[in-house]
Amino acid sequence: MAFLDVLMLGFSEAFTPTNLLFCFIGALLGTLIGVLPGIGPTATVAILLPVTFFLPPLGALIMLAGIFYGAQYGGSTTAILVNLPGEASAVVTAIDGYQMARKGRAGAALAIAALGSFFAGTVATIGLAVAGPTLSSFALSFGPAEYVALCIFGLLAATILAHGSVVKAIGMVCLGLVLGMVGIDVNSGATRLTFGSTELYDGIDFVVIAVGLFGVAEIASNLEFKEARGVLQSTIGRLWPTRQEFKESWAAVLRGTAVGTILGVLPGGGATLSAFSAYSVEKKISKTPEKFGHGAIAGVAGPEAANNAGAQSSFIPLLTLGIPSNSIMAMMLGAMTIHGITPGPSVIQNQPELFWGLVASMWLGNAMLLVINLPLIGIWVRLLKVPYRLLYPAILLFCCIGVYSVNNRGFDVALVILFGILGYVLRKAKCEAGPLLLGFVLGPLLETNLRRALLLSQGDPLVFVERPISAVLLLITAGMLLTLILPAIRKGRKEAFEASED
Amino acid sequence: MKNSCLKLALAAVALTATVSAAYADWPNDRPIQMIVAFAPGGSTDVMARAIEPFLEKELGADIVIENRPGASGEIAYTALSKAKADGYTFSYINTPGFLSMQVQRKLGYDPKSIKPIARIVDDPTAIVVPAASEIKTLKDFVEAAKANPGAVSYGSSGVGTDDHLAIILLGSATGATFTHIPFNGAGETRTAVLGAQVTGGGLNISEFAGNDTSGLRMIAHFGTERSPQLPDVPTAKESGFDVEMTSERGVAAPRDVPDDITQKFSDAMKRVLDDPEFQKQAQQLALPLAYLSGPDWEAQMPTRLERFQKIWNETPWVQ
Repeated sequence: MAFLDVLMLGFSEAFTPTNLLFCFIGALLGTLIGVLPGIGPTATVAILLPVTFFLPPLGALIMLAGIFYGAQYGGSTTAILVNLPGEASAVVTAIDGYQMARKGRAGAALAIAALGSFFAGTVATIGLAVAGPTLSSFALSFGPAEYVALCIFGLLAATILAHGSVVKAIGMVCLGLVLGMVGIDVNSGATRLTFGSTELYDGIDFVVIAVGLFGVAEIASNLEFKEARGVLQSTIGRLWPTRQEFKESWAAVLRGTAVGTILGVLPGGGATLSAFSAYSVEKKISKTPEKFGHGAIAGVAGPEAANNAGAQSSFIPLLTLGIPSNSIMAMMLGAMTIHGITPGPSVIQNQPELFWGLVASMWLGNAMLLVINLPLIGIWVRLLKVPYRLLYPAILLFCCIGVYSVNNRGFDVALVILFGILGYVLRKAKCEAGPLLLGFVLGPLLETNLRRALLLSQGDPLVFVERPISAVLLLITAGMLLTLILPAIRKGRKEAFEASED
Repeated sequence: MKNSCLKLALAAVALTATVSAAYADWPNDRPIQMIVAFAPGGSTDVMARAIEPFLEKELGADIVIENRPGASGEIAYTALSKAKADGYTFSYINTPGFLSMQVQRKLGYDPKSIKPIARIVDDPTAIVVPAASEIKTLKDFVEAAKANPGAVSYGSSGVGTDDHLAIILLGSATGATFTHIPFNGAGETRTAVLGAQVTGGGLNISEFAGNDTSGLRMIAHFGTERSPQLPDVPTAKESGFDVEMTSERGVAAPRDVPDDITQKFSDAMKRVLDDPEFQKQAQQLALPLAYLSGPDWEAQMPTRLERFQKIWNETPWVQ
């Protein structure tokens, strides 16, 4: 009953007119910046931070949090409509979502994405309220060895991500790993693959690669055809998902929510990892895996639920331990400290109205997002009717502004062009960018943690099997590899032959 | 996006305004750009954004914060050294990074082209262990490392940072061997110490006291004297180890900015630091405020630089 009491306290705080207004402003702003490719929530929160000094603490936090999860809703919109993931977690949404849009099911994909996100947000909020403190101590036991096991699991899953040749998928993962190595080596401080350029010291930004490989390459390959083909040609069709589509999605949403809530708690890479994992899970257990990559609705529902659940549950380590799991959480931490709030176990005890008010506002914010987004679907989809000659320059312009604003430098925009060309060449070679991005994200994580784990164990590799969590993860990976290896190679070869024939 | 629009506007103004006219009205003909060399949300960034409204009031000018993260600050410092010396571009600079990078690699800019104009904080480096750890003092920490060389691990916020240099100094002062584990920033270090993944870790006083400290224990810090934020924590010197290490943050401008402008800016910054309203915020962020005028701050740098050069000659921290 104590749980209900505090939740009541939270809602009574969140339901005041001012806080409702802040919640709405945050959610709306988040949706807008999410829709504009490249303009990320981190930059928005940074710009608004000084403004929040003059707001009441709870209102400020409610608004900033709203921007973050609002962007998760908005981000999937461009991924589905124009194949342009604005952030890491929307990459997998683009794979099947964009194919749905091409088949005239953009409305259904957007609706499922919004409904799935809402459901996941609700569950993750309840998770935060009920199990927050317990989950965060689980997250703390995740050391370097556990991360190594998780990354190996993730990289194996990358081969499932592709729907073409397994060999090409492995090649793409390796290319991603190499790209992920660019920059200053965390352990030795030596520079790698920077070719003497200071701009590359911190590696290549994820947004640069995603916008180049997906956005620019998509536009380039569409330019090959007259205006008759591509998105434009697709009829918009029914906006609401069909009964069959609902049937195919609800279980995927449930699984995505579970994956996202658990992985989102982990410090570092939570939301992205959850979206990728959810996609792999869906494809693995699907009765019709061949549909994936060609517009399978479960491939939109699962990852969308997962990334929103992950975004929400990444508040758990922040609010219960004071550990920010990504740069936005770091901004939130900054905002809290400026208001004299020290995130950590003491907040729940000393300022329960603040903690529970924020939790309750997240649920309200998710409900508002649903209300904002569902009617907007019709408008977004109509964007597809804009002729290419207007739509493409506009998308490219927003991409450039967005990429520039990440680090405020023109160098990144030049890199986007390079990656655009690479992406176009890869498409021609029938290589997919999804596995490349997963390699790019997981590679550095795997490398630094592998080296950390071995440094800590003083070179003893047994550390990976001695620690229970990592041993279990490695066991699952080994099992997956065994069940996968024979059929996957057979299937992969078959598909590779098919690909070389056409 | 806001930044880029502003930059366009700035560029347009810069093209039309003549240099002599620009000085006369300082600081009122356009917004002052303050570069932060690190990503949004980091401790330098949060401090910069806390100062912004107060400094705007003192100067009577608009301030725009621009994050130019990358290469431990080198990208921002290069931009600063190339900026017009008209008093409209400033950057936050951090030591030891600003100094240690001069020792460890060839830089894309001349450090002499940057003029420090005000120090804001002087933040001692400290060693933190999990609350449940048996290590209670700095002496325990060193003894444990001596008894079992390599078994005591120490997390730092990166290669060449103040935390890293502190453990190198401690190692060479005592002959003990620590296993250095570099992380990406103080947040990751804190997490690793909380989860007892490492024996101990290096955090600055503000990074420790500005956050929730439950689950952590600070055994000693490397400041010259006890810190008002944490009066109970002994310094390394008191514990019998002659090691000093702090991280300073302040503001710098291109070398050729006229002295009267930098003087006015420095004075305005001093007034901000003396403002009780600002001090309240600084206390919440646990910022160890320590104003120094530009010339005084710059005068200290050669000694520090020499010390880093000496460490580098003995144990180069970058292979």
